[in-house]
Order: sequence, then structure tokens, then C-alpha cells
Amino acid sequence: MQKIKKTCNLLLLLSMVFLLSGCWDRAELENKSYVIGLGIDRSKDEGKIKVTMLIANPEVGSVQGGGGSNEKPREIITFDAIDVITAKSTANAVISREISYELLKVIIVSEEFARDKRFLPTLYTSLHDKEIRLDTFLAVCKEKAYEYFQNNRPRLETRPHKYFQYMIEHGIDNGYIADSTLFRFIKTIERGTDLALAMYTTAEREKNPPIKGEDEYIAGQLNAFGELDDTQFIGSAVFRNGVMTQILTGQETRMVNILDDTVDIHDILINMPDPFSERQQQIAARILKTENNTFKMDMKGAKPKITITIPLKFEIMSNPSMVNYVKGGKNRQILKKHIAAHMKTTFESFLKNTQTKLKGSPFPLSRYALKYFATNQEFRDFNWEKSFLEAEITVKPDIEIIDFGKQLMPQKGGSK
Amino acid sequence: MKQQQEKLGIREYVCIAFLMIGMKGTEDTPSMLFSHVQNAAWMIPLLSGGLFFIPLFLLLKTLSLFEDKNLFEVIQLLLGKYIAFFISFIIFCLNTYAISLDTRTYTNIIRAYYFTTTPILVLYGILMVVCVYAAKKGIQRIGSISYILIFYVALSFFFAFWLSMKDSQFESIFPIWGPGTLELLKAGPLGIGLWGEFFILASLISFMTSFKDFRNGTWIAFGCVVIQLSLATMLFIALFDKGLSVIGYPFHVAIRYISIGEFLPNIETLFFPIWLSAAFIRFAAFLFINALIFGHLFNIKEYQYLIPSLATIYLLIGMIPETPIDVALLKEPLRYVAGPTFAAISIILWLSAWFKGEFKHAKNKKNM
Repeated sequence: MQKIKKTCNLLLLLSMVFLLSGCWDRAELENKSYVIGLGIDRSKDEGKIKVTMLIANPEVGSVQGGGGSNEKPREIITFDAIDVITAKSTANAVISREISYELLKVIIVSEEFARDKRFLPTLYTSLHDKEIRLDTFLAVCKEKAYEYFQNNRPRLETRPHKYFQYMIEHGIDNGYIADSTLFRFIKTIERGTDLALAMYTTAEREKNPPIKGEDEYIAGQLNAFGELDDTQFIGSAVFRNGVMTQILTGQETRMVNILDDTVDIHDILINMPDPFSERQQQIAARILKTENNTFKMDMKGAKPKITITIPLKFEIMSNPSMVNYVKGGKNRQILKKHIAAHMKTTFESFLKNTQTKLKGSPFPLSRYALKYFATNQEFRDFNWEKSFLEAEITVKPDIEIIDFGKQLMPQKGGSK
Repeated sequence: MKQQQEKLGIREYVCIAFLMIGMKGTEDTPSMLFSHVQNAAWMIPLLSGGLFFIPLFLLLKTLSLFEDKNLFEVIQLLLGKYIAFFISFIIFCLNTYAISLDTRTYTNIIRAYYFTTTPILVLYGILMVVCVYAAKKGIQRIGSISYILIFYVALSFFFAFWLSMKDSQFESIFPIWGPGTLELLKAGPLGIGLWGEFFILASLISFMTSFKDFRNGTWIAFGCVVIQLSLATMLFIALFDKGLSVIGYPFHVAIRYISIGEFLPNIETLFFPIWLSAAFIRFAAFLFINALIFGHLFNIKEYQYLIPSLATIYLLIGMIPETPIDVALLKEPLRYVAGPTFAAISIILWLSAWFKGEFKHAKNKKNM
């Protein structure tokens, strides 16, 4: 009796081993082809899209296969398909392994298609694929998406998944591009009251672009040359009701990122006019945003009044006019006031711009208005999209200078 | 060699209750609540909890008259053989319906996000086999396992919620009254269905160390679960905002979205096993209680042996709906019926006890 029981238990345990492989969902790493980037373009055929898949070679750069393998780090394939889900099996006509979206990093849509009404339904269809995660980034590229992938040849970071991960991660850290995961994008679209943003990129450098301030570019305008790849990530595309309408520059995107508390930014370096200089010199500063903004609204009047307090910490990094901040307590006050005034005007003129040009707020401002209403019906009657355009927005920068730079005692000394 | 049957202590009981009901926050309940009352969905657990407090209080009051007897014995004593059989049978049917659809919901979740190509029947079968194995071990074992598990479950939930905070905006829960106070009140009965399990758990009294433990345990678990469900719903609203209406299983979408820093993305494999073990416990306890009711209905002493066959029946019923959408549609009437039915039964029990003068009787007894 005891023996039979033991054997039965052992058999039960053994049978469980078979379950460990995951039944029908058994996945062989060797057997899979991981798509890192997915490009979507308009197709000549009505009702179809042009799908581009950027497939990474997992062997390249790994310790085991690094030395001897001469394989290319990536494979790019473009073809017409109804949607990205069935495209997986169509791609197998060319690709030897099973296509998987599990490690998808970025979906890149051409500007041409993003300005099309069919873009949003296509994106929603793609989301039905169970392998696509909501932390995938959405980006808009200036040229066709397949051209973008082909022209994008990073020199050092040849592994595509690492390239896109680092590029996007640091772009968001700097605040140059919008943090446009599918999650955030879809959430904003579903909300319907604000504008959705997607990062803007291109692999095509403009010919003879104008020289601008450090962050006033959009992708393609930065005239960088040397031995490099032409891909640039800067600026963001604005979507109104699911259709792309405008492009924000890097500077405007930074302001959006500062205004939006849900974005994690932490290394903003900017230039601004030096108050002590007569030759229009610029000081360099690092902006730290450690606290949340406060939004106060007055919905009672004919025009809603919105007051935004932005707490910012500044680290002054350069001192072109050689002002002595140590001795002159007054100088510190002047600088602080100057920064506050500068911030106020830039933010206010940008917000004015959003009302007149963009016709909506590119960050979730409507959420802060909700608490002034008792029911959803009241908020609907208020018609946020319309009232926002007429709102009077005041910005109150709450500036704190935490550091005046390394060189406390200037060589020449003294202000004039 | 028969060991002396251990009793269920208060902490095991609270853990079972918490796992059985608290798990609702991780399936489709939050989005179901959201589809009814939008951004005020987090208030429904609080509101309906307040409403359900009354029948639960009356039920415990009634049960306290018959200290060692479980729910169904009390029903029989108070309402007579035939009515009691009828009522118990209704409860059993409701439970059958609930457990069949719930197990199917969990199978759907597993298939939707984790094992996308495995046939439903296989996943469902494995789920049921594990639950039967656990249920057959008896409620004491289930209690001990849930006591071991509860820490990890709570920890993983908190961790997941904490990680998702970064993307949450708590302003989304405003306007405070959502669709309006009237709509909120209308959704009250819908919410009562959430707490139906507390009624069923009363059939475990005879396994408890004492009635006092049972009473206190019920209140502790009730308080915890009301807050937990409300908080979970609130967090999902803050995280998904309006998108919650199109997301079927917010917990799973959330754990697939969050990541620990940049180097540990795709961490759902951390939460999934814990969630799964909690689900096993939930259904094992549910199965055990159902077998207990069935055994009581038809006077079957060795009810443990019923568990496998009951589970097979539930599996067969659960396989009837073709798609997850059908499951959601079939669950809807249950939500409207189950809660009010259980509340009504509790009130009927209390009334009959009152008319029969059982309360006075008990008082006299005490005085003597």
C-alpha cells in the first residue's frame, strides 16, 4: 500500500515536468526572430500599410558569439500588409525564424502617414497583438519609415535594441523628446481633452540648416558633421484628435516636459541671456525639477484663469561676464530675478502659442481642472477644449539657485 | 493513523477571506466598476461595503445564537427542513455559477497574457487539477498555505502599485461624484455582489477554534478587503484614466507595463507566479466550501471525495461560453442577483430568529 502510494506520487511529480515547458507556448530562443523596430507607412494600395521590420541579430555583441561571427547585426524587411499582426507570418516568406514582437522597442510612423486619418485605427489594430507591450515607444519620422531604418546606421552602438534604448532614454532625460510610450499616447488619446505627443526623429540631415540656440532645433536641423550617423532625435509631433498637426522644437518639448509632472526628466542644460553682460552673452545653467508643479484654476468667470507655479532649481554653470557672486549679494538677487522673469516670459509665450497655434494643451492640464467640478456632466458642459483656448494663463516660476558654479572667485573680479 | 483535526485559527481565516475576496482587485472587477460609474468607481467598494455591513452584522448576530453550528445548520434550525433545503440549494447554485465563471475568467487572463497559444481546455484543466489537489487537503491546509502566502501577495501587490505610481495621476479620480450621486447609489446593489463570499465563508464556523475568532476574523477581513478593493480601483483609475474602460484586466496590463529602472523591464514574471498561487488558494477554498454545502444538502459525510467530480462539473460549465466577452456578459446578472440574495437571506434569518424569540431565549440563558 505504502509503495503504491509512493509510486503514484512520483508519477504525479514526473508528469508535472512535462508542464514546465509551457505546453503549446514552448518557445525556443533559437527559433525566434525578435523585431526591435516596427515601421508603418502609407501603402499605394488602399486599406493596406507598408510594414517595415527591424530585426536584431541576438548573436552580435553577446559574449558567446562576439568574436568569430561575421553576421550583420540587423536585418530590415519592408512589404505591404493589411496589419502588423498578419505581417508576422507574411514576413516568414523571407525571414527564416518565427517573428516575435515581444522585444519591440519602438514603433516608427512616417510623418506622411501620421497626418493621415487612417493612422489611429491602424495603431489601435496593432495594439491588439498580445505581444506588443504598452511600454513600446511611438516615434514619428520625417521621411518614410523604411527609409529611416535603412539610413539609420549607428557607428558604435550597432545592436539596434541597445541603440534605440539609449537614444530614447537619454533624449527623455534631456527633455528633448516627448516620453511617448504607447501607454501614455493611448491614455491621452482616450482622454480626448489634451493633445498627444510623439517623439520626432529623422535620419536625413537638412542641407544648410540655420544655426540656432542649443535646444531650438527639430530633428534634422542640427548641422552636425564628422564621422557619424545622421539620425537625430529631437522635438516632438503633436497629435490632435489622433491626427498629427504640428511639430514642437526641442525647446518647446522641454517646456512641455517641465510642465508635465508625470514625465521624469533630470538633466536639462540650457543657455540664457546673462543679465550682467552688454554683449548679449549667455550663461549656461542646469535645471533640476525635483518638486511637482501646482496648478490653481478659477473656473467661475467668463474666462477661466489658470495659475501654474513651477518650482525649479538652478545650477549656474558658467559666468561669461565674470560677475562676483560671492561679494555681491545684490548680484545674486539680480540673477535670480532675471532667471524668474526669463522663465516667466518663455513659458507664458509658449502657453499662448499652444492656445493659438496648437489649439490644445500638450500636457495633461485638463486633469487639474477636474477637481473644480462635482460631476462628469458639469465638466462636459464646461467644454474644456474650447474654454482652454480662452483661458488666461499665468506662470509663476519658483526659482531657487542652488549653485553658482565651480569658480567662486573670478580672475578679473568685480562687476561693472 | 488519524491525526486529530486541527482547527482554523483567526489568522488563517482572515488570510483565506482576504485572498478569496481581495483577488477581485486583480481581475476584471475594477474595469467593470469603471464601466458603470467611471471615475467614481473607487467609491463603490466603500459604498456597497457600508450597505453590506448591515446584513453581515445581522447574520453574525443570528449565528452567535448557535455558537458551534455552521450557516446551513442554522438555516435548517430556523426555517425548517424544506425551506432550508430550498434556500441552501439556491446558494449552492449561485456558487456553482460564480465559481464556474470565475475560474474561466482566470483561465482567460492566463491565456490572454501569458500562454497565448495553449488551448483553453488544457490551461483550465491544469488550474482545476491544482485547485482540487489543494482543496482535497482540507481547509486547515488551505489556511496554512494562505497564511504563508499572504505576506508575498501583499508585498507583490504593494510593489506593483508603488512602481506604477510614477505614471499615475491622482487628479483623474475627480470630479468627485463621477456620473452623479444618483448613478452612484444605483450602482450600490451591483457592489454588494463583491462581498457575497463573506456570507459563504460562514459555513466554515465548525472548523474554527471559536465563534469569537470567526466574528472578529470576519470583521478584520471585511475592513481590509473593503479598503484594499477601493484603493486598488483608485490606483487603476489614476494609472489608466479613461483608458480603463477599454482594458479588460488592468492589473495584468499594469504589471506588463511597469519596469524596475531601465535594466529590468518585462517584470511580470515576478508577479505572475504569486498571483497564480493566490488564485489557486482562492479556488481551492471556494471548491472546498462548495463541496461542504453539497455534502450538507444531500447528507454526504465524506464530502472531500466530492471535490474532484464537482470541479469537473465546474470545468464543463465554465467551458460553455465561447469567448471572454461571453463570460463578462454572463457574469453581469450574477452581480445583480448574488449580492441582494445573500443580503436578503441574512435578513430573513435574523427576522425568523427574532420572531421565534431566540434572542430572548439566549438572553435568559445568559442570565441563568
